[in-house]
Amino acid sequence: MICQVCGEREATFHFKEMINGEVEELHLCEICAKEKGLDETFFMPSFSLSNLMAGLTELEIPLSEEISVSCPHCGLSYEDIKRKGKIGCALCYQVLKEYLTPLLERIQGKVRHSGKVPRKGKVEDQGERRIYELRKELEKLVKKEEYERAAKLRDEIRRLEKEK
Amino acid sequence: MIIQEMANSTSQWLRGDGPEAEIVFSCRVRLARNLEGFTFPPWAHDSVLRDVSDKVLNAVNKSDYLKNSHLINMSELSSIERRFLLERHLISLEFSAGGSRRFLVTEKGGMLSLMINEEDHLRLQSILSGLQLMDAWRLSDKVDDELGRNLDYAFLPQWGYLTSCPTNTGTGMRASCMLHLPALVATHKIDELLKNISKLGLVARGLYGEGTKSQGDFFQISNQVTLGLREEEIVDNVGRVTRQVVGQEKRAREILLKRNGTQLKDQMGRAYGILLNAHFMSSQEAINLLSRLRLGVNLHLFPQLNIPVLNELFFMITPAQLQVKEGKEMTPSVRDELRAKIIRERLGKLR
Repeated sequence: MICQVCGEREATFHFKEMINGEVEELHLCEICAKEKGLDETFFMPSFSLSNLMAGLTELEIPLSEEISVSCPHCGLSYEDIKRKGKIGCALCYQVLKEYLTPLLERIQGKVRHSGKVPRKGKVEDQGERRIYELRKELEKLVKKEEYERAAKLRDEIRRLEKEK
Repeated sequence: MIIQEMANSTSQWLRGDGPEAEIVFSCRVRLARNLEGFTFPPWAHDSVLRDVSDKVLNAVNKSDYLKNSHLINMSELSSIERRFLLERHLISLEFSAGGSRRFLVTEKGGMLSLMINEEDHLRLQSILSGLQLMDAWRLSDKVDDELGRNLDYAFLPQWGYLTSCPTNTGTGMRASCMLHLPALVATHKIDELLKNISKLGLVARGLYGEGTKSQGDFFQISNQVTLGLREEEIVDNVGRVTRQVVGQEKRAREILLKRNGTQLKDQMGRAYGILLNAHFMSSQEAINLLSRLRLGVNLHLFPQLNIPVLNELFFMITPAQLQVKEGKEMTPSVRDELRAKIIRERLGKLR
């Protein structure tokens, strides 16, 4: 069997990783196994063999046209990002939105962020942080069974969300 | 020096005092964050990485949670020392490759750690014993808020926290539990169980080493999706499924004891016998035998032993731990001898 990384040498290290009940195999030669830090068994069930493999196939989105846009901050094009599987900077998310949106939707679903908001940041985010804090407060009130105050707070949150 | 000091102490989360700790070895919450206006690490030039690490370390110094931590410059470590941090679950495999401008900040109890300039500018993790995911999240949340007082995180209302890899965008959070499931493996229930977990939108993984034997019957359950759910919802989901798996493992243990009690006791007794008397032992063999013995301790077959000692042993016998502690490189056969000796002595003390 040939090493899956270099495709040249004979594979002598054989790994099996079980993800969701499916066994995935990885076969490496001694040199590549050493390079990936896999040449000796150790106690770590939590890292991913498949992440070690070069090339992120999950980013393979067929493109009908050639994209010439590149990010003015980091200078990367969507082609670059696709090749490495890593986004360049925060601005990429805005400049390359058209291309990144379908990708994010495929990985994460058609959803909007509803979690934590940083306490500091650009002005337009401040309303978001306020809503986030009020939601946390609301949860506490519900837990304490203070429903009257909770109802008032809920109306306040709805009002703020409409204002956005 | 710091590494040496760490090699002589163990992490708090190994104490096994958390809820369900006999089955849930540890739980972990990891947050990924990046700084606004700086290229993400996989694409960044050295000067950018330097500016980022300066900014983050400055914020660390102002954090009550982290200011008394060990600060480790990854470029100053030997490959064995980096490997040691990996084996301690303090850094990722990617980070263990080293590189300049990479720092690890680790709180002395081993509960909190922060990787600077890994795939994202910040990777904050908290590990607790047993099933305490909500507490692990609350802890991470507080530290994150503290750091966020002095850092501008890359964030968009629609996408949440912006990360290098789109699989982390949103909350940037991975919540996971490491489970010891020897009875579900022995009763051949594990494959189906892991498949069912994947239908719930979670990831379950176990690593199989060389050969086909599982690595000590340890598995990890974590969330797959990071966007669209609140952190508490993610933690709830992972926690709820973990609790169900814990229930199934307990039932499988009862069934095993009832059906094959003698055979099971025989296996565990043999594992104990080998661990107590062997003079050569590979990592793989040690992990498998310790796993079996750990089950025996949980089933109260070895009243002289306890879970913290076994948890600790898993980490005391890893290749890099042995070499860091001895302060020198050792060939595998020398390590196998030392490993057997450590186990013999540690268990021998408790006879």
